Amino acid sequence: MWMLIVILFICIIPHHLYAQEEMGKKIYEQWCAQCHGYEGDGEGYAKDYTFPKPRDFTLGAYKFRSTPTGEPPTTDDLVRVIKNGNPGTSMPAWKRLTDEEARAVAEYLKEFAPDVFEYEPEPIEITPPPYSEELVKKGKELFRVAKCVECHGLEGRGNGKKGWEENFRDDWGNRIYPANYTYPWELRNGSDVRDIYRTITTGLNGTPMTSYQDSLSDEERWALAYFIKSLQLDRRLGISLTIRKTEAIPQSLEDPLWDTLEYLDLPMGGQVIFEPREFTPVITNVRVRGVYTQDEVGILLEWVDKRPNRGDDGLPPDGIRIQFPQKLTETGNPYFFMGDRRHPVNLWWWKASTSQAKEYVAKGPGNIFEQDNQDVRAVGEYKEGLYRVLFIRRLSTEDTEDIAFIPGRFIPFAVQAFDGREEEEGLKCALSAWYYLMLEPQTPLKVYILPPVVGLLVFGIGYGLHRKMRGE
Amino acid sequence: MTEIYIGVFLLGILISLLAWYKRSPFFNFIGIQIAVYGFLKGLALFIPPLPSQVVVMYMAMSVFAFFIYFSIREETFRAFLAPIKSVLADRDKVLYRVVIVFIGLPLLAAYITYAKVRPSFEPPVSARIVHPEPPTEIDFRGKKIQILGLENPLRKDTDRMKDYLEEGKKIYYQNCFFCHGDDLDGKGHFAEAFNPPPLPFRGTDTIAQLPESFVFWRIAKGWTGLPPGSRPWDSAMPAFEDILTEDEIWKVILFIYEASGNKPRTWE
Repeated sequence: MWMLIVILFICIIPHHLYAQEEMGKKIYEQWCAQCHGYEGDGEGYAKDYTFPKPRDFTLGAYKFRSTPTGEPPTTDDLVRVIKNGNPGTSMPAWKRLTDEEARAVAEYLKEFAPDVFEYEPEPIEITPPPYSEELVKKGKELFRVAKCVECHGLEGRGNGKKGWEENFRDDWGNRIYPANYTYPWELRNGSDVRDIYRTITTGLNGTPMTSYQDSLSDEERWALAYFIKSLQLDRRLGISLTIRKTEAIPQSLEDPLWDTLEYLDLPMGGQVIFEPREFTPVITNVRVRGVYTQDEVGILLEWVDKRPNRGDDGLPPDGIRIQFPQKLTETGNPYFFMGDRRHPVNLWWWKASTSQAKEYVAKGPGNIFEQDNQDVRAVGEYKEGLYRVLFIRRLSTEDTEDIAFIPGRFIPFAVQAFDGREEEEGLKCALSAWYYLMLEPQTPLKVYILPPVVGLLVFGIGYGLHRKMRGE
Repeated sequence: MTEIYIGVFLLGILISLLAWYKRSPFFNFIGIQIAVYGFLKGLALFIPPLPSQVVVMYMAMSVFAFFIYFSIREETFRAFLAPIKSVLADRDKVLYRVVIVFIGLPLLAAYITYAKVRPSFEPPVSARIVHPEPPTEIDFRGKKIQILGLENPLRKDTDRMKDYLEEGKKIYYQNCFFCHGDDLDGKGHFAEAFNPPPLPFRGTDTIAQLPESFVFWRIAKGWTGLPPGSRPWDSAMPAFEDILTEDEIWKVILFIYEASGNKPRTWE
C-alpha cells in the first residue's frame, strides 16, 4: 500500500511541475514576450515604443520586491506585479490570468536567471503604525536629512538635480527619472503607504534608488512613507470644467485664489496619429482651472516637468498650448489635434524660451500660422518641478479668427504639451482629447423668487381649505 | 441601485392591501401610486430605463384613472376624502395639519419648483456609432480596393500562417497596443487620454461581428474615413495607409482575431 502511494507521488509531482512549466512558458510567449522578449532579455517588439523600457529578466535584478536589497523577489512579489501591473508604464494588470496561471508565469520568469532564484527569500515585515501629524512632520524633516530631495526634489516631483545628471541611469544604461510622488496614479510600485514603505525599505534593485533599511530606523521609514503619501494629489477626471466669475484675474500665480478654484485633470497621451509620432511622452497629466471677469478670461495650466528646458542647450524649449475651435458649430468640433483645412483651430502657445504666449491658427497637423493680431498674454513660471502657465485674453476680440467666450456655452478645448528634453517639437508632443470649459453665467433671478412664491401659494391654499372646512 | 424600486413596488402593494383591508380608499390610492411608480422605475432592470418624461406621463395617467375609479361611487368617494378632511379640519389632528399641510406640502412644492427652474449645465454628448457604414470601395494610396465581399488574401495561405501571425504580432505591438491594449482589451496606456476610448478586440461586440474587410477599411483610413455620425474629429485612430503596407494591415488583422479568440464574419 505505502509503496503504491510513494510511486504515485513520484509520478505525479514531476508531472505537475512539468505541466506548470509548460503553462508558464506558453502564457509568457503569448502575452509577455512582445515586450520582454522571447529570451526574457527585454528585447521584445515593443521595446522602443515604451518608456520605461520592458524589464530584462536575465540579470535577475527586480525593482519591485518585498525582500531586502540585493535579494531576489519572492514568488508572491512577481505574482503581485503580474496581477496589478505597474501604473504609469505599459505593463498592464493581468487580471485575466488566474492565480495559478500568474504563478506559472512567475516560475517561468525565474528560469531566465536560475542562479539568482536558488532559494525562496524572506519578505520584510510590513505593519504600519497609526497615522499621526507628528509622523508626517518628522517625515518631512527626514526627507531633507536623508537626501531624498537630491533626486526627488523639495516637493517630491522627481525634479531633483541629481536626476538631471547624464549618468543617472539604471544598471542597463537606460535613462530613468526619479519618481514623482504627487501623481499617485502612476507610482509603479503602488501608491499606498505600505507600498511607499516597501520601496524605501527594500530599494529598487538595478536603479539609483537604494535601500534605507540600514540607514533609517523602522519608525523613520514609516514617517517618510506617511510624508510622501501626504504629497499625493487628488486627480479629478471629467469632461468639463466650470469657470467662475471674479472681480479681477490675479496676475500673480502665488495668489491664494487659484487654490480655491475647481480643477480638471487631463490625462495626456502620445501623438501617435501623424508622423513623426511620439510613443514615449513623459508629460502625462495637465491640470486646468480658470476664472473670468466682465472682460477677460484667465486659464491656468499646470504640469510636472522633472527638468526644465529653455531651449538654450541645443534642445527645443518646453512649451504648452491650449487649443480652441475657431468657431463654435453645431455640426461637430474641428479635429482634436490641430483641426483641419475647413475647421481651423486657435492655438495659444506658450514657450519656456521666451516665457510668452503667441496666438496661432492651425488648419491641420503642422499647418500653422501666427496671427497678425496678438491678443493673448501669459504669465509662466517653473518652480520645484512644476510648470504653471496662466493665459489671459479678452472674452471676445475684434479678430474674426478668434474664438469668443460666451458665458453659459460649453467651449471645447484641448491641450498639447512639449518636453524639450524629450526632443518634443513640431508634431511630437503629448496631447489631450477635447474637453469643455464653461464660463458660469449669473444665476437668473427667477431661481431665487419662484420657489418661495410657489411654496407660499401652496401654504395659502392649505390654510384656506382648513378655514373653509372649519367653517362648515 | 435600480433594485430599490422592487422594494418601492412591494411597499406600495403592501400599503394598498392594508388600506383595502382597513377600507380606506385614500391610502389604497396612495399605495397604488407608489406601486405604479416603483413598477415604472423598476422596469429598468429588464428593459432600457424609461425617460423621465414618460414616467411623469404614465404617473399622471395613473393618478387620473384611479381618482376616477375611487370617485365614481359616492360613498367610496366620501371615504376617500375623509382622511383629507380630517387632517384639514379636525381639532385633534393639529400636529398632522401643521406638519403635512402647513410645512410639508409647501416645502415640497418649493423644492419641485426649484428643481425645475435651477440652471443646469450639461456638456454636449454625442452617441458613438461603433460600426459605421463602410464604403463599397476605397482608394489605398492610389490603388482601388473593393471592400464589399473582400476576404483577407493571406488567410488561404495556411502554410505560412504561423509567420504571418508572428509578423502581425510585431506590427500590433509597434503600432496599436498603446491604445488598444497589451491584452487587446482597449486599455492601452494611452487609452484614457483619448475620447472616444479605443475599442477592445476581445469580447463579441467589436471585430467578432465584422468581416475582415471592414477592419481593413478602419485601419487603412482611420479617423479621416469615418462618416460624420462617428465623430471623426474626436478619433485618434491614425490612417494607417500612411504608415503600414497593405500586406502588413492584413497580417495585423490576422493577429488581432487570433489573439482575441474571435473569428471574422464571412460574406454570405
